Amino acid sequence: MAALLELDNVRAGYGPTSVLHGVSLVVPDGGVVALLGANGAGKTTTLRAITGGVRWNGEIRFDGRSLRRMSTEEIVRRGIAHVPEGRGICTELTVDENLKLGSHLRRDGAEVRKDYDRVFEYFPVLKERRRLSASTLSGGEQQMLALARALLMKPRLMLLDEPSLGLAPIVVRSIFQIIRAINETNRVAVLLVEQNARIALDLSSTAYVLEVGRVAVHGDSAELQGNESVRRSYLGY
Amino acid sequence: MQEFLQQLVTGIAAGGIFASLALALVLIYNAMGLVNFAQGEMAMVATFVAFALINSGMSYWIVFPVTLVLAFGGGIVIQRVVIRPVERAPVLTLVIITLGLATLLNGLAGFVFGYGLHSFPSPFPAQSADVFGVFVSYRDLGVIAVSGLVLLAVYLLLQRTTVGLTMRAAAHHPEASRLLGVQVSWMLALGWGLASAVGAVSGMMVAPILFLEPSMMQTIIIYAFAAAVLGGIESPLGAVVGGLIVGVTVNLAGAYLVGGDLQLAVGLAIIVIALILKPNGLFGRASGRRV
Repeated sequence: MAALLELDNVRAGYGPTSVLHGVSLVVPDGGVVALLGANGAGKTTTLRAITGGVRWNGEIRFDGRSLRRMSTEEIVRRGIAHVPEGRGICTELTVDENLKLGSHLRRDGAEVRKDYDRVFEYFPVLKERRRLSASTLSGGEQQMLALARALLMKPRLMLLDEPSLGLAPIVVRSIFQIIRAINETNRVAVLLVEQNARIALDLSSTAYVLEVGRVAVHGDSAELQGNESVRRSYLGY
Repeated sequence: MQEFLQQLVTGIAAGGIFASLALALVLIYNAMGLVNFAQGEMAMVATFVAFALINSGMSYWIVFPVTLVLAFGGGIVIQRVVIRPVERAPVLTLVIITLGLATLLNGLAGFVFGYGLHSFPSPFPAQSADVFGVFVSYRDLGVIAVSGLVLLAVYLLLQRTTVGLTMRAAAHHPEASRLLGVQVSWMLALGWGLASAVGAVSGMMVAPILFLEPSMMQTIIIYAFAAAVLGGIESPLGAVVGGLIVGVTVNLAGAYLVGGDLQLAVGLAIIVIALILKPNGLFGRASGRRV
Protein backbone atom coordinates (compact mmCIF):
# COMPACT_ATOMS: atom_id res chain seq x y z
CA MET A 1 0.00 0.00 0.00
CA ALA A 2 1.20 3.50 -0.85
CA ALA A 3 1.93 5.91 1.98
CA LEU A 4 -0.91 8.37 2.56
CA LEU A 5 0.74 10.24 5.42
CA GLU A 6 4.47 10.42 6.10
CA LEU A 7 6.20 12.13 9.01
CA ASP A 8 9.95 12.46 8.57
CA ASN A 9 12.06 13.49 11.56
CA VAL A 10 9.38 15.86 12.90
CA ARG A 11 10.37 18.13 15.77
CA ALA A 12 7.81 20.29 17.50
CA GLY A 13 7.06 21.99 20.79
CA TYR A 14 5.34 24.81 22.58
CA GLY A 15 7.48 27.93 22.88
CA PRO A 16 10.85 26.97 24.34
CA THR A 17 9.65 23.51 25.40
CA SER A 18 10.25 20.92 22.72
CA VAL A 19 8.02 17.88 22.84
CA LEU A 20 8.83 15.91 19.68
CA HIS A 21 12.50 15.15 19.05
CA GLY A 22 12.35 13.68 15.57
CA VAL A 23 9.32 11.48 14.99
CA SER A 24 9.05 9.49 11.77
CA LEU A 25 6.06 7.38 10.89
CA VAL A 26 3.99 6.25 7.93
CA VAL A 27 0.25 5.70 7.57
CA PRO A 28 -0.51 3.62 4.47
CA ASP A 29 -3.54 4.47 2.32
CA GLY A 30 -6.52 2.70 3.87
CA GLY A 31 -4.47 1.40 6.81
CA VAL A 32 -4.96 1.63 10.57
CA VAL A 33 -1.92 2.74 12.57
CA ALA A 34 -1.80 2.99 16.36
CA LEU A 35 0.31 5.60 18.15
CA LEU A 36 0.93 4.48 21.72
CA GLY A 37 2.90 5.71 24.68
CA ALA A 38 2.68 7.11 28.18
CA ASN A 39 1.22 10.47 29.16
CA GLY A 40 3.41 13.29 27.87
CA ALA A 41 5.19 11.15 25.29
CA GLY A 42 4.03 13.46 22.50
CA LYS A 43 1.11 11.55 20.98
CA THR A 44 -1.32 14.47 20.97
CA THR A 45 1.41 16.87 19.82
CA THR A 46 2.11 14.58 16.86
CA LEU A 47 -1.53 14.81 15.78
CA ARG A 48 -1.55 18.58 16.34
CA ALA A 49 1.56 18.95 14.19
CA ILE A 50 -0.14 17.09 11.35
CA THR A 51 -3.12 19.49 11.28
CA GLY A 52 -0.99 22.59 11.83
CA GLY A 53 -1.97 23.23 15.46
CA VAL A 54 1.67 23.49 16.52
CA ARG A 55 4.82 24.67 14.70
CA TRP A 56 7.13 21.93 13.49
CA ASN A 57 10.41 21.21 11.69
CA GLY A 58 11.21 18.24 9.51
CA GLU A 59 8.73 17.10 6.91
CA ILE A 60 5.09 16.05 6.89
CA ARG A 61 3.62 14.84 3.59
CA PHE A 62 -0.02 13.99 2.93
CA ASP A 63 -0.79 12.25 -0.35
CA GLY A 64 2.73 13.12 -1.53
CA ARG A 65 2.44 16.86 -0.86
CA SER A 66 4.18 18.73 1.93
CA LEU A 67 1.92 20.29 4.57
CA ARG A 68 4.56 22.87 5.43
CA ARG A 69 3.18 26.39 6.03
CA MET A 70 -0.40 25.32 5.41
CA SER A 71 -3.11 26.58 7.74
CA THR A 72 -5.25 24.12 9.67
CA GLU A 73 -8.23 24.95 7.45
CA GLU A 74 -6.28 24.16 4.27
CA ILE A 75 -4.93 20.88 5.65
CA VAL A 76 -8.36 19.77 6.77
CA ARG A 77 -9.83 20.60 3.37
CA ARG A 78 -7.33 18.22 1.76
CA GLY A 79 -9.03 15.30 3.48
CA ILE A 80 -7.82 14.94 7.05
CA ALA A 81 -10.45 14.74 9.78
CA HIS A 82 -8.98 15.31 13.24
CA VAL A 83 -11.08 14.35 16.26
CA PRO A 84 -9.11 16.19 18.94
CA GLU A 85 -8.55 15.55 22.62
CA GLY A 86 -11.84 16.28 24.38
CA ARG A 87 -13.72 15.54 21.12
CA GLY A 88 -14.22 19.14 19.96
CA ILE A 89 -18.02 19.05 20.19
CA CYS A 90 -19.71 22.45 19.88
CA THR A 91 -21.89 22.27 22.95
CA GLU A 92 -23.73 25.51 22.12
CA LEU A 93 -25.08 23.86 18.96
CA THR A 94 -27.54 21.03 18.40
CA VAL A 95 -26.52 17.54 17.33
CA ASP A 96 -27.76 18.28 13.82
CA GLU A 97 -25.80 21.53 13.62
CA ASN A 98 -22.63 19.73 14.72
CA LEU A 99 -23.14 17.17 11.96
CA LYS A 100 -23.78 19.94 9.43
CA LEU A 101 -20.43 21.50 10.36
CA GLY A 102 -18.86 18.22 9.28
CA SER A 103 -20.43 18.30 5.82
CA HIS A 104 -20.62 22.07 5.27
CA LEU A 105 -17.76 22.22 2.76
CA ARG A 106 -19.03 19.39 0.55
CA ARG A 107 -20.78 20.08 -2.73
CA ASP A 108 -21.77 16.48 -3.58
CA GLY A 109 -25.32 16.71 -2.19
CA ALA A 110 -26.50 13.21 -3.11
CA GLU A 111 -23.41 11.61 -1.57
CA VAL A 112 -23.82 13.71 1.57
CA ARG A 113 -27.35 12.40 2.05
CA LYS A 114 -26.09 8.83 1.67
CA ASP A 115 -23.38 9.52 4.23
CA TYR A 116 -25.98 10.86 6.68
CA ASP A 117 -27.95 7.62 6.26
CA ARG A 118 -24.81 5.61 6.90
CA VAL A 119 -23.90 7.70 9.95
CA PHE A 120 -27.35 7.18 11.44
CA GLU A 121 -27.03 3.45 10.76
CA TYR A 122 -23.80 3.41 12.77
CA PHE A 123 -25.16 5.67 15.50
CA PRO A 124 -28.97 5.41 15.72
CA VAL A 125 -28.93 7.37 18.98
CA LEU A 126 -27.76 10.49 17.13
CA LYS A 127 -30.80 10.34 14.86
CA GLU A 128 -33.09 10.27 17.89
CA ARG A 129 -31.34 13.29 19.41
CA ARG A 130 -30.85 15.35 16.25
CA ARG A 131 -32.68 18.41 17.53
CA LEU A 132 -31.25 18.37 21.05
CA SER A 133 -28.33 20.45 22.24
CA ALA A 134 -25.06 18.52 21.98
CA SER A 135 -24.43 19.44 25.63
CA THR A 136 -27.17 17.00 26.68
CA LEU A 137 -25.29 14.00 25.24
CA SER A 138 -23.35 11.57 27.44
CA GLY A 139 -19.61 11.18 26.99
CA GLY A 140 -20.04 8.11 24.80
CA GLU A 141 -22.68 9.82 22.68
CA GLN A 142 -20.42 12.86 22.27
CA GLN A 143 -17.64 10.57 21.05
CA MET A 144 -20.12 9.05 18.58
CA LEU A 145 -21.08 12.55 17.43
CA ALA A 146 -17.42 13.46 16.95
CA LEU A 147 -16.82 10.32 14.86
CA ALA A 148 -20.01 10.87 12.87
CA ARG A 149 -19.07 14.46 12.16
CA ALA A 150 -15.57 13.41 11.07
CA LEU A 151 -17.06 10.79 8.74
CA LEU A 152 -19.33 13.41 7.14
CA MET A 153 -16.21 15.35 6.15
CA LYS A 154 -15.53 12.45 3.75
CA PRO A 155 -11.89 12.30 4.80
CA ARG A 156 -9.15 10.07 3.44
CA LEU A 157 -7.50 10.01 6.85
CA MET A 158 -8.93 10.25 10.36
CA LEU A 159 -6.80 11.30 13.31
CA LEU A 160 -8.43 10.02 16.50
CA ASP A 161 -7.12 11.27 19.84
CA GLU A 162 -8.01 8.79 22.58
CA PRO A 163 -11.52 7.85 21.54
CA SER A 164 -11.77 5.54 24.58
CA LEU A 165 -11.01 8.23 27.16
CA GLY A 166 -13.49 8.29 30.04
CA LEU A 167 -15.89 5.79 28.48
CA ALA A 168 -17.29 2.56 29.91
CA PRO A 169 -15.65 -0.61 28.46
CA ILE A 170 -18.82 -1.71 26.68
CA VAL A 171 -19.12 1.68 24.98
CA VAL A 172 -15.44 1.56 24.02
CA ARG A 173 -15.94 -1.82 22.38
CA SER A 174 -18.87 -0.67 20.26
CA ILE A 175 -17.06 2.52 19.23
CA PHE A 176 -13.99 0.55 18.15
CA GLN A 177 -16.17 -1.81 16.14
CA ILE A 178 -17.55 1.19 14.29
CA ILE A 179 -14.06 2.61 13.71
CA ARG A 180 -13.16 -0.72 12.13
CA ALA A 181 -16.31 -0.62 9.99
CA ILE A 182 -15.55 2.95 8.89
CA ASN A 183 -12.05 1.89 7.91
CA GLU A 184 -13.22 -1.18 5.99
CA THR A 185 -16.34 0.06 4.21
CA ASN A 186 -15.34 3.68 3.58
CA ARG A 187 -11.62 2.91 3.06
CA VAL A 188 -10.65 5.71 5.43
CA ALA A 189 -7.13 5.44 6.83
CA VAL A 190 -6.89 5.89 10.62
CA LEU A 191 -4.11 7.18 12.86
CA LEU A 192 -5.22 6.25 16.35
CA VAL A 193 -3.73 7.70 19.53
CA GLU A 194 -4.53 5.57 22.56
CA GLN A 195 -3.60 4.93 26.17
CA ASN A 196 -5.49 1.67 25.99
CA ALA A 197 -2.78 -0.27 24.15
CA ARG A 198 -4.54 -3.61 24.05
CA ILE A 199 -7.62 -2.43 22.18
CA ALA A 200 -5.55 -0.19 19.88
CA LEU A 201 -3.25 -3.08 18.91
CA ASP A 202 -6.28 -5.26 18.20
CA LEU A 203 -7.63 -2.72 15.73
CA SER A 204 -4.42 -1.57 14.05
CA SER A 205 -2.13 -3.36 11.63
CA THR A 206 1.01 -1.40 12.58
CA ALA A 207 1.89 0.49 15.72
CA TYR A 208 4.42 3.04 16.93
CA VAL A 209 5.32 3.50 20.58
CA LEU A 210 6.47 7.00 21.54
CA GLU A 211 8.75 7.63 24.47
CA VAL A 212 9.62 11.22 25.42
CA GLY A 213 9.14 12.54 21.92
CA ARG A 214 10.85 9.73 20.01
CA VAL A 215 9.69 6.51 18.41
CA ALA A 216 10.99 3.83 20.79
CA VAL A 217 9.54 0.78 19.02
CA HIS A 218 7.48 0.21 15.93
CA GLY A 219 6.27 -2.73 13.96
CA ASP A 220 3.47 -5.08 13.18
CA SER A 221 0.70 -4.75 15.80
CA ALA A 222 0.25 -8.49 16.24
CA GLU A 223 4.00 -8.97 16.73
CA LEU A 224 4.21 -6.16 19.29
CA GLN A 225 1.32 -7.70 21.13
CA GLY A 226 3.10 -11.06 21.19
CA ASN A 227 6.41 -9.61 22.32
CA GLU A 228 6.37 -9.80 26.10
CA SER A 229 9.34 -7.51 26.77
CA VAL A 230 7.82 -4.75 24.60
CA ARG A 231 4.49 -5.21 26.32
CA ARG A 232 6.07 -5.03 29.77
CA SER A 233 8.41 -2.11 29.16
CA TYR A 234 6.27 0.14 27.00
CA LEU A 235 2.65 -0.89 27.06
CA GLY A 236 2.20 -1.69 30.73
CA TYR A 237 0.12 -4.85 30.57
CA MET B 1 -54.81 55.75 29.12
CA GLN B 2 -54.44 56.94 25.54
CA GLU B 3 -51.36 58.92 26.36
CA PHE B 4 -49.90 55.96 28.21
CA LEU B 5 -50.38 53.77 25.15
CA GLN B 6 -48.80 56.40 22.93
CA GLN B 7 -45.80 56.58 25.26
CA LEU B 8 -45.64 52.80 25.17
CA VAL B 9 -45.43 52.75 21.36
CA THR B 10 -42.77 55.47 21.40
CA GLY B 11 -40.87 53.38 23.97
CA ILE B 12 -41.08 50.30 21.76
CA ALA B 13 -39.73 52.33 18.84
CA ALA B 14 -36.82 53.55 20.97
CA GLY B 15 -36.40 49.96 22.13
CA GLY B 16 -36.02 48.81 18.53
CA ILE B 17 -33.18 51.30 18.06
CA PHE B 18 -31.47 50.21 21.29
CA ALA B 19 -32.00 46.56 20.37
CA SER B 20 -30.23 47.00 17.03
CA LEU B 21 -27.19 48.58 18.62
CA ALA B 22 -27.25 46.08 21.50
CA LEU B 23 -27.37 43.25 18.97
CA ALA B 24 -24.28 44.71 17.30
CA LEU B 25 -22.50 44.64 20.68
CA VAL B 26 -23.60 41.04 21.29
CA LEU B 27 -22.40 39.89 17.85
CA ILE B 28 -18.88 41.11 18.56
CA TYR B 29 -18.91 39.99 22.19
CA ASN B 30 -19.87 36.49 21.06
CA ALA B 31 -17.21 36.43 18.39
CA MET B 32 -14.29 37.49 20.58
CA GLY B 33 -15.36 38.12 24.17
CA LEU B 34 -14.94 41.84 23.68
CA VAL B 35 -17.26 44.78 24.33
CA ASN B 36 -16.78 47.07 21.34
CA PHE B 37 -16.87 50.58 22.78
CA ALA B 38 -16.56 51.99 19.25
CA GLN B 39 -19.87 50.46 18.13
CA GLY B 40 -21.83 53.69 18.61
CA GLU B 41 -19.25 55.83 16.83
CA MET B 42 -19.12 53.35 13.94
CA ALA B 43 -22.90 53.74 13.63
CA MET B 44 -22.54 57.53 13.75
CA VAL B 45 -19.98 57.53 10.94
CA ALA B 46 -22.24 55.29 8.85
CA THR B 47 -25.08 57.74 9.43
CA PHE B 48 -22.90 60.63 8.26
CA VAL B 49 -22.09 58.63 5.13
CA ALA B 50 -25.83 58.19 4.56
CA PHE B 51 -26.28 61.93 5.17
CA ALA B 52 -23.66 62.77 2.54
CA LEU B 53 -25.27 60.39 0.04
CA ILE B 54 -28.74 61.87 0.63
CA ASN B 55 -27.36 65.38 0.19
CA SER B 56 -25.82 64.31 -3.11
CA GLY B 57 -29.38 63.76 -4.30
CA MET B 58 -29.90 60.01 -3.92
CA SER B 59 -33.27 58.79 -2.71
CA TYR B 60 -33.50 57.61 0.88
CA TRP B 61 -34.50 54.06 0.00
CA ILE B 62 -31.43 53.67 -2.20
CA VAL B 63 -29.15 55.28 0.38
CA PHE B 64 -30.39 52.93 3.12
CA PRO B 65 -29.18 49.64 1.60
CA VAL B 66 -26.07 51.28 0.13
CA THR B 67 -25.13 52.53 3.61
CA LEU B 68 -25.64 49.06 5.09
CA VAL B 69 -23.29 47.57 2.48
CA LEU B 70 -20.69 50.28 3.11
CA ALA B 71 -20.99 49.83 6.88
CA PHE B 72 -20.60 46.07 6.43
CA GLY B 73 -17.44 46.60 4.40
CA GLY B 74 -16.18 49.19 6.87
CA GLY B 75 -16.66 46.77 9.76
CA ILE B 76 -14.64 44.11 7.94
CA VAL B 77 -11.87 46.61 7.16
CA ILE B 78 -11.70 47.70 10.82
CA GLN B 79 -11.43 44.07 11.95
CA ARG B 80 -8.73 43.24 9.40
CA VAL B 81 -6.66 46.41 9.87
CA VAL B 82 -7.10 47.39 13.52
CA ILE B 83 -8.27 44.35 15.46
CA ARG B 84 -6.66 41.37 13.75
CA PRO B 85 -3.03 42.37 14.46
CA VAL B 86 -3.82 42.34 18.21
CA GLU B 87 -6.30 39.45 18.16
CA ARG B 88 -4.33 37.39 20.65
CA ALA B 89 -3.55 40.31 22.98
CA PRO B 90 -5.14 40.44 26.45
CA VAL B 91 -8.72 41.66 26.43
CA LEU B 92 -7.76 44.91 28.16
CA THR B 93 -5.56 45.83 25.18
CA LEU B 94 -8.50 45.24 22.87
CA VAL B 95 -10.80 47.33 25.06
CA ILE B 96 -8.33 50.22 24.98
CA ILE B 97 -8.10 49.89 21.22
CA THR B 98 -11.88 50.08 20.78
CA LEU B 99 -11.93 53.14 23.08
CA GLY B 100 -9.21 54.72 20.95
CA LEU B 101 -11.13 53.83 17.82
CA ALA B 102 -14.23 55.52 19.25
CA THR B 103 -12.30 58.73 19.94
CA LEU B 104 -10.68 58.58 16.53
CA LEU B 105 -13.97 58.11 14.66
CA ASN B 106 -15.59 60.88 16.69
CA GLY B 107 -12.77 63.31 15.88
CA LEU B 108 -12.71 62.25 12.24
CA ALA B 109 -16.44 62.85 11.83
CA GLY B 110 -16.08 66.26 13.51
CA PHE B 111 -13.16 67.14 11.23
CA VAL B 112 -14.97 66.14 8.04
CA PHE B 113 -18.57 67.15 8.79
CA GLY B 114 -18.16 69.69 11.62
CA TYR B 115 -19.63 69.58 15.10
CA GLY B 116 -22.86 71.38 14.24
CA LEU B 117 -26.30 69.78 14.29
CA HIS B 118 -27.68 68.45 11.02
CA SER B 119 -31.26 67.44 10.52
CA PHE B 120 -31.48 63.97 9.05
CA PRO B 121 -34.57 63.08 7.04
CA SER B 122 -37.00 60.45 8.18
CA PRO B 123 -38.46 58.32 5.40
CA PHE B 124 -41.78 58.19 7.23
CA PRO B 125 -44.47 60.91 7.28
CA ALA B 126 -44.74 63.10 10.36
CA GLN B 127 -48.49 62.47 10.80
CA SER B 128 -50.08 60.08 13.21
CA ALA B 129 -52.28 57.10 12.52
CA ASP B 130 -55.41 56.41 14.53
CA VAL B 131 -55.04 52.83 15.74
CA PHE B 132 -58.14 51.89 17.72
CA GLY B 133 -58.40 55.37 19.18
CA VAL B 134 -54.70 55.68 20.00
CA PHE B 135 -52.73 58.17 17.93
CA VAL B 136 -49.47 56.55 16.90
CA SER B 137 -46.93 58.38 14.80
CA TYR B 138 -45.98 56.83 11.50
CA ARG B 139 -42.37 57.48 12.42
CA ASP B 140 -42.60 55.27 15.51
CA LEU B 141 -44.34 52.57 13.49
CA GLY B 142 -41.72 52.85 10.75
CA VAL B 143 -38.84 52.54 13.21
CA ILE B 144 -40.50 49.52 14.81
CA ALA B 145 -40.99 47.90 11.40
CA VAL B 146 -37.43 48.56 10.18
CA SER B 147 -35.83 47.39 13.44
CA GLY B 148 -38.05 44.32 13.47
CA LEU B 149 -37.09 43.41 9.91
CA VAL B 150 -33.38 43.89 10.58
CA LEU B 151 -33.47 41.79 13.73
CA LEU B 152 -35.43 39.08 11.92
CA ALA B 153 -32.92 39.11 9.05
CA VAL B 154 -30.00 38.70 11.47
CA TYR B 155 -31.81 35.89 13.26
CA LEU B 156 -32.46 34.04 10.00
CA LEU B 157 -28.88 34.55 8.86
CA LEU B 158 -27.41 33.18 12.08
CA GLN B 159 -29.86 30.34 12.68
CA ARG B 160 -30.87 29.19 9.21
CA THR B 161 -27.85 29.53 6.95
CA THR B 162 -24.58 27.63 6.71
CA VAL B 163 -22.60 30.86 7.00
CA GLY B 164 -24.50 31.69 10.20
CA LEU B 165 -23.80 28.22 11.55
CA THR B 166 -20.07 28.50 10.89
CA MET B 167 -20.06 32.00 12.43
CA ARG B 168 -21.62 30.65 15.62
CA ALA B 169 -19.27 27.68 15.70
CA ALA B 170 -16.21 29.88 15.13
CA ALA B 171 -17.31 32.25 17.90
CA HIS B 172 -17.77 29.59 20.55
CA HIS B 173 -15.26 26.92 19.55
CA PRO B 174 -12.53 28.40 17.36
CA GLU B 175 -10.12 25.47 17.69
CA ALA B 176 -12.69 22.78 16.96
CA SER B 177 -14.10 24.85 14.08
CA ARG B 178 -10.70 25.17 12.43
CA LEU B 179 -10.41 21.37 12.46
CA LEU B 180 -13.72 21.26 10.58
CA GLY B 181 -12.37 23.56 7.87
CA VAL B 182 -14.08 26.76 9.09
CA GLN B 183 -12.09 29.91 8.21
CA VAL B 184 -12.29 31.24 11.76
CA SER B 185 -10.50 34.52 11.15
CA TRP B 186 -12.84 35.45 8.30
CA MET B 187 -15.85 34.49 10.38
CA LEU B 188 -14.72 37.05 12.98
CA ALA B 189 -14.41 39.63 10.21
CA LEU B 190 -17.92 38.77 9.02
CA GLY B 191 -19.14 39.23 12.59
CA TRP B 192 -17.63 42.73 12.63
CA GLY B 193 -19.19 43.53 9.27
CA LEU B 194 -22.59 42.32 10.38
CA ALA B 195 -22.39 44.20 13.69
CA SER B 196 -21.36 47.36 11.87
CA ALA B 197 -24.32 47.09 9.46
CA VAL B 198 -26.83 46.41 12.24
CA GLY B 199 -25.41 49.34 14.21
CA ALA B 200 -25.75 51.57 11.14
CA VAL B 201 -29.48 50.84 11.13
CA SER B 202 -29.77 52.14 14.68
CA GLY B 203 -27.84 55.28 13.67
CA MET B 204 -30.08 55.99 10.70
CA MET B 205 -33.21 55.38 12.77
CA VAL B 206 -32.16 57.62 15.65
CA ALA B 207 -30.73 60.50 13.59
CA PRO B 208 -34.14 61.98 12.57
CA ILE B 209 -35.13 62.06 16.27
CA LEU B 210 -31.92 63.45 17.79
CA PHE B 211 -30.25 65.52 15.02
CA LEU B 212 -27.07 64.22 13.46
CA GLU B 213 -23.77 65.27 15.08
CA PRO B 214 -20.57 63.42 16.03
CA SER B 215 -21.70 62.73 19.62
CA MET B 216 -25.17 61.57 18.60
CA MET B 217 -24.69 57.94 19.63
CA GLN B 218 -23.07 58.56 23.00
CA THR B 219 -26.31 58.34 24.97
CA ILE B 220 -27.72 55.64 22.72
CA ILE B 221 -24.72 53.39 23.35
CA ILE B 222 -25.40 53.60 27.12
CA TYR B 223 -28.95 52.38 26.53
CA ALA B 224 -27.58 49.68 24.24
CA PHE B 225 -25.16 48.56 26.98
CA ALA B 226 -28.10 48.49 29.39
CA ALA B 227 -30.09 46.39 26.92
CA ALA B 228 -27.22 43.97 26.29
CA VAL B 229 -26.39 43.58 29.99
CA LEU B 230 -30.05 43.13 30.91
CA GLY B 231 -30.63 40.54 28.18
CA GLY B 232 -27.34 38.74 28.72
CA ILE B 233 -24.35 39.97 26.77
CA GLU B 234 -23.99 36.63 24.97
CA SER B 235 -27.60 36.34 23.84
CA PRO B 236 -28.88 37.92 20.58
CA LEU B 237 -32.46 37.28 21.70
CA GLY B 238 -31.60 38.84 25.05
CA ALA B 239 -30.34 41.97 23.29
CA VAL B 240 -33.68 42.36 21.54
CA VAL B 241 -35.81 41.75 24.61
CA GLY B 242 -33.45 43.88 26.72
CA GLY B 243 -33.67 46.67 24.15
CA LEU B 244 -37.45 46.70 24.24
CA ILE B 245 -37.55 46.65 28.05
CA VAL B 246 -35.02 49.49 28.28
CA GLY B 247 -36.81 51.52 25.60
CA VAL B 248 -40.22 51.23 27.25
CA THR B 249 -38.90 51.71 30.80
CA VAL B 250 -36.81 54.75 29.96
CA ASN B 251 -39.61 56.34 27.97
CA LEU B 252 -42.28 55.77 30.60
CA ALA B 253 -39.94 56.89 33.38
CA GLY B 254 -39.17 60.04 31.39
CA ALA B 255 -42.84 60.78 30.83
CA TYR B 256 -44.26 60.01 34.28
CA LEU B 257 -41.50 59.72 36.91
CA VAL B 258 -38.19 61.49 36.49
CA GLY B 259 -38.60 63.75 33.45
CA GLY B 260 -36.44 63.87 30.36
CA ASP B 261 -33.26 65.06 32.06
CA LEU B 262 -32.85 61.94 34.17
CA GLN B 263 -33.69 59.37 31.50
CA LEU B 264 -30.03 58.48 31.06
CA ALA B 265 -29.76 57.85 34.80
CA VAL B 266 -32.56 55.31 34.44
CA GLY B 267 -30.54 53.55 31.77
CA LEU B 268 -27.47 53.47 34.02
CA ALA B 269 -29.60 52.25 36.93
CA ILE B 270 -30.78 49.36 34.76
CA ILE B 271 -27.16 48.38 34.09
CA VAL B 272 -26.31 48.44 37.81
CA ILE B 273 -29.46 46.61 38.93
CA ALA B 274 -29.04 43.95 36.24
CA LEU B 275 -25.40 43.39 37.20
CA ILE B 276 -26.30 43.02 40.87
CA LEU B 277 -29.42 40.87 40.58
CA LYS B 278 -28.78 38.91 37.41
CA PRO B 279 -25.16 39.24 36.30
CA ASN B 280 -25.65 36.83 33.40
CA GLY B 281 -28.73 38.67 32.18
CA LEU B 282 -32.23 37.38 31.51
CA PHE B 283 -31.19 35.06 28.69
CA GLY B 284 -27.54 34.45 29.53
CA ARG B 285 -26.38 31.15 30.87
CA ALA B 286 -24.26 30.92 33.98
CA SER B 287 -20.65 31.30 32.94
CA GLY B 288 -19.61 28.03 34.54
CA ARG B 289 -17.76 25.52 32.41
CA ARG B 290 -18.08 21.78 32.52
CA VAL B 291 -14.70 20.09 32.63
